[in-house]
Amino acid sequence: MNLSQPEIQKEAARRRRYRLLLLGMLALLLAVVLLSFWIGYYPLTPVQVVQAFLSKLGYKGEILPQAVTIFWNIRLPRILAALFIGASLSVAGATYQGMFRNPLVSPDILGVSSGASLGAAFAILNGASNWVVQAAAFAGGVAAVAASYLISRKSSHSRTLSLVLTGSMIMSLCNAGVTMIKYVADPNDVLQQITFWLMGSLTKIQMDEVGWSAVPMAAGLLVVLLFRWQINLLTLDEEEAKSLGIHIRRYRLLFIAASTLLSAAAVCLGGLIGWVGLMIPHLARALVGVDYGRLIPASAMLGAGYLILMDDIARSVLSMELPLGVVTSIVGVPFFLYLIIQRKER
Amino acid sequence: MLLELQDVRGGYGGGDIVKGVSCGADAGEVLCLVGPNGCGKTTLFRLMLGSLPASGGCIRIDGQDTRDLSPREMANRIAYIPQYHTPVFAYTVLDVVMMGRASHFSAFETPKAVDREAAFAALEKVNALDLANKKYTALSGGQRQLILIARAICQSAQVFVMDEPAANLDYANQQLLMEVVGDLAAKGYCIVMSTHSPEQPASVGSKVLLMKEGRVAGFGPPRQVITPENMEAVYGIEMDVVTIRDRYGTERTICLPVKDPAGGGMAGASGKGGKAPEGE
Repeated sequence: MNLSQPEIQKEAARRRRYRLLLLGMLALLLAVVLLSFWIGYYPLTPVQVVQAFLSKLGYKGEILPQAVTIFWNIRLPRILAALFIGASLSVAGATYQGMFRNPLVSPDILGVSSGASLGAAFAILNGASNWVVQAAAFAGGVAAVAASYLISRKSSHSRTLSLVLTGSMIMSLCNAGVTMIKYVADPNDVLQQITFWLMGSLTKIQMDEVGWSAVPMAAGLLVVLLFRWQINLLTLDEEEAKSLGIHIRRYRLLFIAASTLLSAAAVCLGGLIGWVGLMIPHLARALVGVDYGRLIPASAMLGAGYLILMDDIARSVLSMELPLGVVTSIVGVPFFLYLIIQRKER
Repeated sequence: MLLELQDVRGGYGGGDIVKGVSCGADAGEVLCLVGPNGCGKTTLFRLMLGSLPASGGCIRIDGQDTRDLSPREMANRIAYIPQYHTPVFAYTVLDVVMMGRASHFSAFETPKAVDREAAFAALEKVNALDLANKKYTALSGGQRQLILIARAICQSAQVFVMDEPAANLDYANQQLLMEVVGDLAAKGYCIVMSTHSPEQPASVGSKVLLMKEGRVAGFGPPRQVITPENMEAVYGIEMDVVTIRDRYGTERTICLPVKDPAGGGMAGASGKGGKAPEGE
């Protein structure tokens, strides 16, 4: 094969461009992480940030004790949480969009957020501790998706259609449950807690919470990252995908399981944070193209950087903290409307 | 025989739709499936591809029973070329062609240099190398059909199954497609295609399988199978099969549905309108 053929050259150039873009995204992500240590209610100077970082590594110089606490106990867990949640929601969104052959699908399509909300609301109503609330949210999210999947198997419609249908039913049912719990909850205490939880926020994140939520998220990210190219085949007709040699049912189950781990863990750590899983894959597609081999790494990095940035906005724009879910909606909805108007190119 | 079907039966649970089909095709042959809507062509395709398990009979590719093959092994032997479609995502042509390589690398890899080369080579074979970096969604129907053929080529299967490849294409593109099909057969591929125009088997087909209600109504060379008697029996309308010479002297066979202007023939029933059914 003649390697100087212009189309082959062009393709090689596209691959180089992708590698550069990925490096750029990584650099941007690091920059955002560094920036996020400086800003906040108690501003730290870059020098203080570095000193605080080094303090745990044996730095003995003069240093503000508050800076160390802020760096290690407040900002680091928050930044890590935002990084993981952003990457998880974006990767889950991109995966579902491929599986359901619809670029307008978000990670909650099978009811994971609603199930998690119901689990959390139920736990809060029963006066559970913070730790139990998070565990209940995770369990609720996983249970909702499992119900959607298992019920859809009984349907005679096409697989993806029945998944969407059962997903939206389960979602409605869970939302009704949440409303019911809110209705019976004590408005002075429990109702407030539930409402705050549902808004989505990273305000009170502790390092140990980040630690144990990172396990399912890392597992989900690893699975999707490893098998990412196969998602391309799931965007085809079922018949066609099978003829290319893929066990379509196994992969569908694998990706649903991985995406559920990702989004359930994200929701139980940060509450309902919408629009990230919908808009980041779009942004990534515009940059690196639709091939899932490239889309998943790009989505993960962009999503991580984006959510850290949104959390920076949430904690620094006003004198009080804004709920993160509100910030992502305010930014996400106009973006999404723009997409709807823009979608002419297919 | 490269592809061999023996008394194949199968359906979707509610009874068999394909009720015992035996046929076969060799490398370098084009087997055309002809028959009215609902005669079981698509079901037969699904049985051949293994996406629908047969309820009886046996399908062999290169002597191997397809029931013993994994999806991956199947993909390396038989490729499916669907009617051109519009995918949701704007893949580049190369991305689409490279999906044909799925059975050639492990599930947690992305395509390697070998796969890219295979994809480029396949595109070159259908004379579409210049489209490699274009968006698949921006191509015309005829071009997309070519790209799907390239995908099958780089899948490195020997048997291609094409579902009405000429449907939805204009005259020029149909002609081009038939040339490509003839070309592929000449290169040693075995092509099984369904069609609604009986002229196509006459021009490219080595064999015709005429189907009616899930059974074989005729199997053999086009000349023997595409006859007025057979066509009338299968389609239930009167048909003339004529052979003419085109301006270059090539013999062409065409089927013409005909109707007696006097109103006789098979369109009966008129005149018996109000009569009560006879019975006990």
